[in-house]
Amino acid sequence: MAVDAAAVRPGATPQPAEPLLRVAHVTKHFRAGVSGVVHAVEDVSFDIKPGETVGLVGESGSGKSTLGRVITQLVPATSGQVIFDGVDLTTLRGERLRQQRRHLQMIFQDPFASLDPRMTVGDIIAEPLVNFGLHDHKEKDRKVQELLRVVGLNPYFNNRYPHEFSGGQRQRIGVARALALNPKLIVCDEPISALDVSIQAQIINLLEDLQREFNLTYLFIAHDLSVVRHISDRVMVMYLGKIVEISPSEDLYESQEHPYTKALLSAIPVPDPKIESQRRLVELSGEIPSPLFPPSGCNFHTRCPIARVPGICADEDPQLQEKSPGRFAKCHFSDEVRTKV
Amino acid sequence: MPDITKPILEVKNLRTSFFTDDGEVKAVRDVSFDLYEGETLGIVGESGCGKSVTVMSILGLVQRLGKITGGQVLFRGKDLTKIPADELRHVRGRDIAMIFQDPLSSLNPVLSVGYQIDEAMYAHDVIKHDDIRARGVDLLEEVRVPDASRRIKDYPHQFSGGMRQRAMIAMGLSNKPKVLIADEPTTALDVTVQAQILELLRDLNQNTGTSIILITHNLGVVAGLCQRVIVMYAGEIVEEGTAEQIFENPQHPYTWSLLRSMPRVDTSRRERLKSIEGLPPDLIAPPPGCKFNPRCPFRIEQCFSDDPTLETVGDDDRHIAKCWVRMKRAYAEMGAATLTDTRPGAASGVRPPKTLVEKLEDSREIEPDTEAVGDLRGS
Ligand SMILES: Nc1ncnc2c1ncn2[C@@H]1O[C@H](COP(=O)(O)OP(=O)(O)OP(=O)(O)O)[C@@H](O)[C@H]1O
Ligand SMILES: Nc1ncnc2c1ncn2[C@@H]1O[C@H](COP(=O)(O)OP(=O)(O)OP(=O)(O)O)[C@@H](O)[C@H]1O
Ligand code: SF4
Ligand SMILES: [Mg+2]
Ligand SMILES: [Mg+2]
Repeated sequence: MAVDAAAVRPGATPQPAEPLLRVAHVTKHFRAGVSGVVHAVEDVSFDIKPGETVGLVGESGSGKSTLGRVITQLVPATSGQVIFDGVDLTTLRGERLRQQRRHLQMIFQDPFASLDPRMTVGDIIAEPLVNFGLHDHKEKDRKVQELLRVVGLNPYFNNRYPHEFSGGQRQRIGVARALALNPKLIVCDEPISALDVSIQAQIINLLEDLQREFNLTYLFIAHDLSVVRHISDRVMVMYLGKIVEISPSEDLYESQEHPYTKALLSAIPVPDPKIESQRRLVELSGEIPSPLFPPSGCNFHTRCPIARVPGICADEDPQLQEKSPGRFAKCHFSDEVRTKV
Repeated sequence: MPDITKPILEVKNLRTSFFTDDGEVKAVRDVSFDLYEGETLGIVGESGCGKSVTVMSILGLVQRLGKITGGQVLFRGKDLTKIPADELRHVRGRDIAMIFQDPLSSLNPVLSVGYQIDEAMYAHDVIKHDDIRARGVDLLEEVRVPDASRRIKDYPHQFSGGMRQRAMIAMGLSNKPKVLIADEPTTALDVTVQAQILELLRDLNQNTGTSIILITHNLGVVAGLCQRVIVMYAGEIVEEGTAEQIFENPQHPYTWSLLRSMPRVDTSRRERLKSIEGLPPDLIAPPPGCKFNPRCPFRIEQCFSDDPTLETVGDDDRHIAKCWVRMKRAYAEMGAATLTDTRPGAASGVRPPKTLVEKLEDSREIEPDTEAVGDLRGS
């Protein structure tokens, strides 16, 4: 089904549209040792509208990649639903799953590790096309060259190997490969974290141009809230497997509904000495707890500056609730964030 | 009060090369700068521009294929590139301490954290032996490792990434060094932990007057911590100035471009990022003239033939830049203020000379051409 992306252009007021992706109560546990369970993703729910870019931030180990891999069905969910284009992917198997998954691609952080060093760039990009039945050599070459041109690489370099390209160029190859099957949704997992500062902007601009051109929808995962805020329409903040805040990007810097979001924002340095000299860091006590033994109640209560412990925060897990139009937070005391954190 | 007029470390015309099978990689090309007492100096620039090799050269740590091919490193009147190895070993760790990006690889996994901190002190005889054990705990407390007297017996793997970096800083501080060199100390850490480590360095500088050289590619980190900034590109210093000068009035197009290419968390997201096109040059055979010329929007003909030198810009001799054009002129004559097209030569309209053009057409990168694709469009 073609999607009317014009109605949801970033910048335009989003129209109420059917979500392209609906994640409902997704949980992912990993076994660890004999009896341990890693609570990597815990009861996560959200929607992404067609044409939208939703950002996902959180500290290392918070479960961002795991969530991305569950959505793209690279790993099965422990429970919950991943409804893509109206179909629950978690109920599909075999050929039907494969056919749905072509519309859902993923770009990875490490452009070095994610490309097979023994394959030519042309074969790497064509692989998904071949998997879906394109065998004609001329047609394949033509597609590959088109894709190379789209991502800004010289089409006549299709017979070269990945090691002949720089990090940024390899990431372009990864993008070309992800585009080959004309996907609707691309999960970008830290696509620029391994790249140099001056190259990061090139890739961000490319991703934005491609989105406009091909009506793409992105889930954009990164550590760096500055980058996420730039590229996203909405930002989700994850802590220890749970989404603690969802906010339109525009509003996020001005105010926060969750104490963790506020702490995260306060820690980001800005390239301006005047602003830096006035920045006030919201200190979090202690370290991020192990996902093997997540804290009771609100799992942020061990570090939260406004937690009521003993009390409700240690006993009861707050729900992710709409606090003001379009802004969701998972905190018993979100009205205090503005004044007391 | 820091005395920011007295240099404690003077680097003069430093050159370091790696002699590889492909040729001589000139990683540091004629680098000179001073570090003043009590100041925090930032060195920024992208991967491979020579930041680490510069400070490794200062401490005599370039090894194997690497060799210092020229210049001096003066510390308290002595040239560190000339003194005997055992004397240099005492300068390292006693007078000048260094902390690295990856604390795990610089800590010994089979020895406790406390043992390693103690060793650092025994090695240099600055601290009285009777005081060493107690000082170890004090140091861990100073770098805010909670429950220090118990945690000092832990092994590195029992520490989180942030705690290991704290332990490294404690070790670095153990002999009360005059200079602390921190090479990307927070790059592998989460932002909340990064902020804590940076605060620690700031306190250290203010409370003990230790001079700090902070290497990073994160301009935000520099803005928060450093009084002066050096910007490196392709093995050279291309601009140097106070933090204010570098951030508010950058004169080198590379500095200017870097500042504009990064999204900032505090500004509206609507604007397209002004990217820097292309890649940094190959250090075996960089382009003739200014090494930034293949990527520079403001280049003029002279940039392709002559290599500019570092000169004072404006009226303050602390602010220097290595550029024929400089942003003052780029604003006045090339519309830098409203520039949206940041491709090489876009602002000046200057194309490379013919001999170079052929090489460029052999390039791996082209303009992205989303128009050309029929099949991929829509669905
Ligand atoms: N295959 C696995 N087996 C066991 N545990 C796993 C597995 N994959 C991930 N985990 C654990 O799940 C948690 C979430 O990991 P994940 O990689 O999703 O985090 P992340 O937010 O992507 O972190 P980063 O920012 O470091 O990439 C971590 O504690 C991790 O160790
Ligand atoms: N052992 C080595 N052999 C050959 N070349 C080397 C060696 N070490 C460094 N180089 C080269 O020296 C140049 C400068 O490297 P350096 O490590 O100083 O960069 P950097 O600015 O610290 O980068 P990064 O931000 O990635 O740490 C690079 O081009 C690198 O390839
Ligand atoms: S619920 Fe309590 S502990 Fe959790 S974030 Fe809110 S205030 Fe903090
Ligand atoms: Mg990850
Ligand atoms: Mg380095």
